[in-house]
Amino acid sequence: MLKKLLKYDLKYMIKNMIVFYALLIFFALLYRVLGYAGSSVILSFVKGIVNGILIGLFINVIINTLIRSWLRFRDSLYKDESYLTHTLPVTKNDLYNSKFLEAMLFLLLGFIIILLGLFIAYYSKSNWDFVVGTIKKLTYGLDTSVLEIFICFIVVTFLELFNTLQAGFLGIVLGYRKNNNKLILSVMFGFLGYTFTQGLLLLLIYIIGLFNSSIMAMFGNQVQVDGGALRLLAYLSMGIYVLIIAGMNILSRKVLNKGVNVE
Amino acid sequence: MELLEIKNLCKKFESKEVLTDVNITIPKGKIVGLLGKNGAGKSTLIKIINDLLTKTSGEVLVNGKEIGVESKKVISYLPERTYLNKQMKVSEVVSFFEDFYEDFNSKKAKKLLKDLDLNINQKLSKMSKGMQEKVQLVLVMSRNADLYILDEPLGGVDPATRDYILDTILSNFSEGASVIISTHLISDIERILDEIVFIDKGRVVLQSDADKLRTKENASIDEIFRRMFKC
Repeated sequence: MLKKLLKYDLKYMIKNMIVFYALLIFFALLYRVLGYAGSSVILSFVKGIVNGILIGLFINVIINTLIRSWLRFRDSLYKDESYLTHTLPVTKNDLYNSKFLEAMLFLLLGFIIILLGLFIAYYSKSNWDFVVGTIKKLTYGLDTSVLEIFICFIVVTFLELFNTLQAGFLGIVLGYRKNNNKLILSVMFGFLGYTFTQGLLLLLIYIIGLFNSSIMAMFGNQVQVDGGALRLLAYLSMGIYVLIIAGMNILSRKVLNKGVNVE
Repeated sequence: MELLEIKNLCKKFESKEVLTDVNITIPKGKIVGLLGKNGAGKSTLIKIINDLLTKTSGEVLVNGKEIGVESKKVISYLPERTYLNKQMKVSEVVSFFEDFYEDFNSKKAKKLLKDLDLNINQKLSKMSKGMQEKVQLVLVMSRNADLYILDEPLGGVDPATRDYILDTILSNFSEGASVIISTHLISDIERILDEIVFIDKGRVVLQSDADKLRTKENASIDEIFRRMFKC
């Protein structure tokens, strides 16, 4: 049944997001075309506006996905639509997993669309050399490669987004168990969940640092960063993020499985 | 084994008790009227049977099993509100029901929609509330379920449409199945009821065979209800 639920959840999201993806690609193409059109004052002005819209759309694709995923989760499980959702012959785990997977897939898709937009709008040999050169400077003396830094950055970014997404879902599940002020409580629980997980991440790294002097040195005022310690820190963060997300996921599903009280 | 057994069911919202020690048994093949004034606890009871509210205590069994995936396979529920995703077309909703309910008869649904002059290619958001309610009724009655639960199916509908809805219910529920109809418009449904359950202030005050009660009291169910719950 998870497959069927996911099919309808993905359909819903694509219907709502496709217009933003199309707009992003359109403005990326427009920016590229304007780049070939010359360099008058008016064109520079128009190019600046298009660039501003494009940057807004890059941010929108991620924020919009997060907010729509939370709203869809809430509407489907606690508002009018829940009268259908909870009477389907499917488990509450499947209902939850479908929403979470849908949101994860759309965050990934959004990222791909953003990369495509960046490539269309800004790619040139000199820009590419500049980006690679900057990363090389950052990695100088850190005993690592541009590729490793890039992969670490992507993975940590996604884990952070999934953590934000999961904290929001947990907030909704907890907030809607109450009889009053459900929305406000959902936002509050989500925010608290997010803050708590960030604090927990930092605390766990600090505790690990107590047994590893290289990591502990990074909490101090040391200017020279140890490449090995930085790598260890990045991989530790990833591991801890995965554990935190899994923990929140289990807690949310456990609360949901206790039953709902729809309005 | 009874189709639906409710034993000592209680429901509290914080300190307010909305259902108190409810005991109801619904056998197979009956049309049961769940009758009570507004706010008597009818919808709360129905929501608990459909897993939309958690019970505080007691037991709800469908075919001997607790509420869950198995009970949802055999209960076809019509809530008192519009609950379909309004971005969907009617045809998409029909496919949705076909995907999730093994007992859903899409041919029957399409025929009923056609009879009601409802355009299958129309988006729900473009339909009036009344039309959306008709679509929901068609979907619910197109399942070959064991138990149909209809919460206020006649609410906010003109008398002519009420008759049409009742006829649709009567001519479409599967053989051997039971139907629970919750309403306060008793005179409209009286003619089709086999059994009645009167509910007041969260308590079941009477469960009886409809004909026996009429004979005993020498009055219609509507009159008996009015006498019992006179303000």
